[in-house]
Amino acid sequence: MEEQPKVGEEIRKMPVEPLLSVEKKLIGWSLGLGIALLLILIVLTRAFPVSAG
Amino acid sequence: MDQSARGLSEDWLSVWIGLLVFVLALGLLGGADILGWVVTTGVWTDVSKALNPVSKVYSGLGGVGALIATYAALLVVMTAGAAALKADLKRFALGFTAVFWISYLSWIAGSYANFAVTTPADMQKFGITWSLRLTNEGGFVIALIAGLVVGNFFPGFAAWMKEAVRPELYIKAAIVLLGGFLGIMAATQPVLAKSVLFRGLAAIIEAYLIYWAVVYFVARKWFGFSREWAAPLASGISICGVSAAIATGSAIRARPIVPIMVASLVVVFAVVELLILPFAANAFLAHEPMVAGAWMGLAVKTDGAAVASGAIAESLILASNAAEGVNYAKGWILGTTATVKIFIDIFIGIWAFLLAYIWTNYIEARPAGDKAKVAEIWERFPKFIIGYVLTFVVVLVLAYGAAPEATGKIRAAMGEANTFRVIFFIMTFFTIGVMSNFRKLWEEGIGKLAAVYVVCLFGFVIWVGLVISWVFFGGVKPPLAS
Repeated sequence: MEEQPKVGEEIRKMPVEPLLSVEKKLIGWSLGLGIALLLILIVLTRAFPVSAG
Repeated sequence: MDQSARGLSEDWLSVWIGLLVFVLALGLLGGADILGWVVTTGVWTDVSKALNPVSKVYSGLGGVGALIATYAALLVVMTAGAAALKADLKRFALGFTAVFWISYLSWIAGSYANFAVTTPADMQKFGITWSLRLTNEGGFVIALIAGLVVGNFFPGFAAWMKEAVRPELYIKAAIVLLGGFLGIMAATQPVLAKSVLFRGLAAIIEAYLIYWAVVYFVARKWFGFSREWAAPLASGISICGVSAAIATGSAIRARPIVPIMVASLVVVFAVVELLILPFAANAFLAHEPMVAGAWMGLAVKTDGAAVASGAIAESLILASNAAEGVNYAKGWILGTTATVKIFIDIFIGIWAFLLAYIWTNYIEARPAGDKAKVAEIWERFPKFIIGYVLTFVVVLVLAYGAAPEATGKIRAAMGEANTFRVIFFIMTFFTIGVMSNFRKLWEEGIGKLAAVYVVCLFGFVIWVGLVISWVFFGGVKPPLAS
């Protein structure tokens, strides 16, 4: 049976891959959109405060 | 391997098992107490008085009789489920027997008065002078420790019971049952329930758009991980541990070893969080119970560990408040944790599709036949959520505006279903422990992966989760117990 590769070895053999512009866009857009949506949600939750019952 | 050769998925099986218990419990509405024999454990100083059937109708059975009946019934149902999974039935039945008994004995031990009692009045009632004040949910921690001992010191025994070591199956069945329990709460406090649901949306934004982006950046830029490792790692740490890591690995066409190792790492760290965060929540957030509940859902990874943390945090916080004379209703803290976690889970399929689209079109362009397909969204959708929504809506519809007598019957029915939920919870704790083989992970040379996890988890996931929980749930209180 073929032996399972050790994770440590796999990580050591990992190729060096610089960040591509599409990855930078993914990170930037995610953070920007996330912060904007959180702000909108904060405004909405302040506009409609909780009351039990 | 095609689906017929693999059998039913654990995800679907959890839905069917949860719905079976739920429907049988609803028999009470028609006057048929079908599940009243299920065993329940009270706080004890004399173990012979610890166990009882949940319903007085079955009191003739006695505690031990109820325990044996519960084991036998679950063995039959779970082994039938294992047949649907195409598991090895003999190994499953033997493994399940070990899982059930070790888990339930841990639960009984956790209900010992010196571990569980929380108030001076109860200490007097049980005639004891000290208590660890863990509540009887301390049994969850004992089950987890028992699992860790088996997983790390008795690997042969752990391998022997492996067929039944399925924490995801147990927790998903429990979450399906939790839906009905939360449905009753939503029917009696609809405004608060709507607010919790609305605020739960923040969790989706935080997990997918904030956490993921930061973890991916840290893994790629600071630790030099390749895209194949960084993407599943980011999903594992940010979203929902195991399933998100596997969905992402498959979406970006990573080799199978990558998501498997990430998932193993997530399980181990979830155990560490489970042992620390609920106690931290009780120490610092006892007066902000809903913040604590949301925090558990946002900070603790894997469905099992997150919902389990919510359960422990709830019992500790309710006990702390009770000691100060404030008696909050049960279920709201756990309900908030479950809502947050389920909201996050819902989007795993969509997120995986989005990543698959970006990877197969822009990062590692693939031929037309190997590009992302919309059908993958449904394939990766966690099906147990369907069961959860179904039990929640059915109970909400039945109980909303119902007469007090009918509400009482629904509450009793969900109480019986909830007893099974607790048993599934205990088995989740034990099996999470069994799966967490720290030594094996270390031997695999997983240090660099673990370093990313430590930096991200303790560097910002926990703290950002706390801030967001505070912003959205600060000042929101559970209703008082009636």
